[in-house]
Amino acid sequence: MRLAVERWDPGEDQIEVQRAPEPGVAGGAYRAFGETLRGLKTTFARVIEGVHTIQYPEQKVAVYPRFRGRHKLHRFEDSDLEKCVGCSLCAAACPADCIRVVAAENTPELRISAGERYAAVYEINMSRCIFCGYCEVACPFDAITMGHDYELSDYNRGDLIFTKEMLLAEPLDQTPLRAQGE
Amino acid sequence: MSTKSDYRRMEGSITLAPLSEQIGSQRLSSELLTLNFGPHHPATHGVLRLLVTLDGEIVQDVKPIIGYVHTGIEKTAEDKAYWKVIPVVERMDYLAYYFNALAFCGAVETLLECEVPKRAQYLRVIHLELNRIMSHLVWLGTSALDLGAMSMFWYCFREREQILDLFEMSSGQRMHTRYFQVGGVIEDIPIGFAEKVREFTRIMPGRVDQYNDLLRRNEILLQRLRGTCPLDERTLLELGVTGPLLRAAGNPWDLRKAAPYSSYEDFDFKIPVGTVGDNYDRFAVRIAEMKESVKIIDQALDGLPEGPYITEDRKIALPPRHELATSMEALIHHFKLVTEGFRVPPGEVYYAIESPRGELGCFVRSDGSAKPARVHMRDPSFVNLQATAPMTRGAYIADLIATLAMLDPILGGVDR
Repeated sequence: MRLAVERWDPGEDQIEVQRAPEPGVAGGAYRAFGETLRGLKTTFARVIEGVHTIQYPEQKVAVYPRFRGRHKLHRFEDSDLEKCVGCSLCAAACPADCIRVVAAENTPELRISAGERYAAVYEINMSRCIFCGYCEVACPFDAITMGHDYELSDYNRGDLIFTKEMLLAEPLDQTPLRAQGE
Repeated sequence: MSTKSDYRRMEGSITLAPLSEQIGSQRLSSELLTLNFGPHHPATHGVLRLLVTLDGEIVQDVKPIIGYVHTGIEKTAEDKAYWKVIPVVERMDYLAYYFNALAFCGAVETLLECEVPKRAQYLRVIHLELNRIMSHLVWLGTSALDLGAMSMFWYCFREREQILDLFEMSSGQRMHTRYFQVGGVIEDIPIGFAEKVREFTRIMPGRVDQYNDLLRRNEILLQRLRGTCPLDERTLLELGVTGPLLRAAGNPWDLRKAAPYSSYEDFDFKIPVGTVGDNYDRFAVRIAEMKESVKIIDQALDGLPEGPYITEDRKIALPPRHELATSMEALIHHFKLVTEGFRVPPGEVYYAIESPRGELGCFVRSDGSAKPARVHMRDPSFVNLQATAPMTRGAYIADLIATLAMLDPILGGVDR
């Protein structure tokens, strides 16, 4: 036996949606014209709104400042030393486990980063990266940030493992960026 | 194993007696046709496979077969620190990522007994309701496309684009934003965001009216939706169906009002309900929900309180970035949180919210370590999918397409 349905009652806070008329019969014959005309009116009225599409490969949408695209590694502008000290916090924070860091000691002859150690190997596997930006959040030295470039496809999976040199270099073409508040 | 699969045996078990009673002696022979529908059929809205048993054009039985996009997210979550689970669970129901994140964060916050600042709650509501509109727009666009209304698709995706731009502006990504964090949101909204949302909420009600003009009384749409595949409230409740599908049948169950979370009690909005529970009601309820969501966003923007956007508890939330260079303590907390994460007291909790598709619940069991012992999601699409067979049995196969569209299952959520 089925029990009666007990309904929770929100009181005034519910509204019943409007039912539509029964299809077919005399009204249907009217609607086939009348409502179709209304639909066409709606559609043609959109013409004055102009074009919403853009011609993508030629034209690009400017990204917002917070957009998380391809990673970038940074250097200090004055000394040209790398900011990354090879602490592997980014690798620890990565939910996709796509960052590999091998640290080595700086020596007086070969000084690469500002700290005691530097990243001898720094690789990001872009085919695994989910662009969550936790690496950027985790980095205490602002050495890695999420850049704005998003066209990352390649022909080989191996080419998607970005090395330190690739991440330090400026990308070939700049993605247009919106100003703050734009 | 014989080549006769389980399905063939199931097919053999279907009785044709009621059918021959209906049709009587006019029918000379009745042969069932098994149609494999999907998993790569565009009308299944994802990788859903349906084994449909047809008698002529009449659907005798539907058996949904799922699992084509099973990604083991729940298991993956057990191996990650709590904050690293957030971007992972977001990828389940890929049209309701803010909801997935909130269900998980809310569950963890309950276990931590962590107070979420009011501003964070309001920011969450703004993003959740934008996400709800976005999800309904995708539903409307693709469903209308199934019914032959091609231009609806472009109109809906035009507005969706606007919402995704807003997400990109505030959270840095258009989908899977990981904006919600345990204890609040990761960043405050940028300058100009509120104005952009206002611009959207100004335009959106007019756009919904346009969708209504195109569809609401369109004869073809009425023929396809009105009176097709209704299912009564009681059966829906017995199947555990929630969300717009249940509300279309007249039951006003909405967790935003029934069990408010994230300050939903502060906002004044209505719950659209249907009467009959047919495909038309399902359609109308979702359209009406979009307008209600716009109202909530406006109210949340009006009442957006000042204050912190994430909890001040340094054991849970990362310290502000500027402190890293000046405070040793902040740096220690930062290292600790990033490498190990925060520990959650042992216990288990179920936290349910109203996603665009119904009750999205997250069960988290903690053993006191920094990783959850078990994460389970009650995904509404999965439960709602069960209603396909009772809805469509005895209907035409064309109505099956329409019903599936109105059911709005997201297979990423079903399979997880």
